[in-house]
Amino acid sequence: MGLLDGQVACVTGGTRGIGRGTAEAFLREGASVVVNGRSEEKGARALEEMGGGDQVHFIAGDVKSRGGCEAIVNGTVEHFGRIDILFANAGGAKDHAPVAELTDASMQDSLEWNFWHTFWTMQTALGHMIPQGSGRIIAMSSVEGKAGKPGIAIYVAAKHAINGLVKSAAQEVGTLGITVNAVCPGAIETDIMKAEGPGAAEAMGLESYEALLDIFAQQSAIKRLNEVTDVAEVCVLLASEAGAGITGSLLSIDGGTSPY
Amino acid sequence: MGKLEGKVACITGGTRSIGRAMADAFVAEGAKVVVNGRDAEKGQRCLEEMGAGDDAAFFAGDASEQSTVEGLIDFTIETYGQLDICCLNSGGVKMTAPVAQMTDEEWTLEVDWNLNHVFWGMRRALQHMIPRESGRILVTSSVEGKLGKPGIPGYAATKHAVNGLMKAAAQEVGTLGITVNSILPGLIETDIVRETGPESAIAMGLDGYDALIDLFTQESAIKRPNRVEEVAAVAVLLASDAGRNITGNMFPVDGGTMPY
Repeated sequence: MGLLDGQVACVTGGTRGIGRGTAEAFLREGASVVVNGRSEEKGARALEEMGGGDQVHFIAGDVKSRGGCEAIVNGTVEHFGRIDILFANAGGAKDHAPVAELTDASMQDSLEWNFWHTFWTMQTALGHMIPQGSGRIIAMSSVEGKAGKPGIAIYVAAKHAINGLVKSAAQEVGTLGITVNAVCPGAIETDIMKAEGPGAAEAMGLESYEALLDIFAQQSAIKRLNEVTDVAEVCVLLASEAGAGITGSLLSIDGGTSPY
Repeated sequence: MGKLEGKVACITGGTRSIGRAMADAFVAEGAKVVVNGRDAEKGQRCLEEMGAGDDAAFFAGDASEQSTVEGLIDFTIETYGQLDICCLNSGGVKMTAPVAQMTDEEWTLEVDWNLNHVFWGMRRALQHMIPRESGRILVTSSVEGKLGKPGIPGYAATKHAVNGLMKAAAQEVGTLGITVNSILPGLIETDIVRETGPESAIAMGLDGYDALIDLFTQESAIKRPNRVEEVAAVAVLLASDAGRNITGNMFPVDGGTMPY
């Protein structure tokens, strides 16, 4: 008997990294899961590796557009008949620069990838969950959703915005059996981190990617990075029946980094 | 295979309500548990109801007394050979009053019960856990650990204080495999709230017990009290291996009450 038997989940950016780890944890607990990603090929490989049979389904799509987000959430409902859990997980940022040198394009890209994607998928999911009178929405925020490092303002601003969105939405649907929360992990060495970390390190004025990882680790109490499973298990808790009384929360999963 | 197989826990104030729910959840996940309470008769009844046989034991004593808290930890280690999870859960108020009318007697009781008890227990537990380089300390704080309602100044002050204590301790032992966290529940209609709530309501200038419950629930998004099972599920997560990278954290279980 899993904690999520009979539930249907949708995970954006679910073929790799935190999304993938969380999709697998949802699957293990008995949920049916849609994973999303941009590449059909990576999607097919993820499905093969996950080995969830009919319980897992891939929907290709880019989260940086309203149409893409609607198609992912509505596609979940079309495929599995409902949506109980939305994990708006996709996100990242590229072309980092200090605020004085930032381009509109890189700010726009980060906001679409992180913030607008969360808004679009949340809004679409609420369209199904409100009439249903139940649901769980989990937004991927970050330790940078509560603090701010120099050089990565596009990411920090977008993650702070997500936290605000989560708090308001939670108050709106609190009596309808729907919870809305954000998870705020510390740095985790996912594929995205490996891809975008070197650029972020440069914008932060650091010597190397390793120096970036070191800063995150040294700011924590555990002096090491977080791991995918740390986030996955908190998401399971939030998605389960026991999570019914937790909403509007910004849950730190950061080894003791955030001061609040 | 339970999530806490082979682990040993002790819980102050464990015979009823939140502490009891933690004890039941820990046993269900394979842990051995020592519960504490003032009344030996209630302790025996608790053990009977838990039905855990040799996997549960009772230690009588008042958690506002140093000898009880330290005795509980020593007894747990003597009985089961180790201590992996220390839940400093007991707490409350007796005859609360606004600051201007607060008696020294009540103030001292609340500081001993809610704050000193946590310090005594944490210190003793850490002395056992540090050489073993493993452990989990869970402090039951409250939404009042971040907020402050009129008429319960001692409760708000001590629940804030344990959060500070928890954060400092988490940083001290972060690299030693030991996590220290607090859980911040919203109002739960526990036995202790039912017993002392009517007096607290008067101190808070409210119309009665129901008005007290109403005040807390209306501040939440879910507009209902929280449940002990919701707190217990968080305690299991933090106590389990999946919680190893979450520390120094004030984990909310408050239905969307706290603004941060």
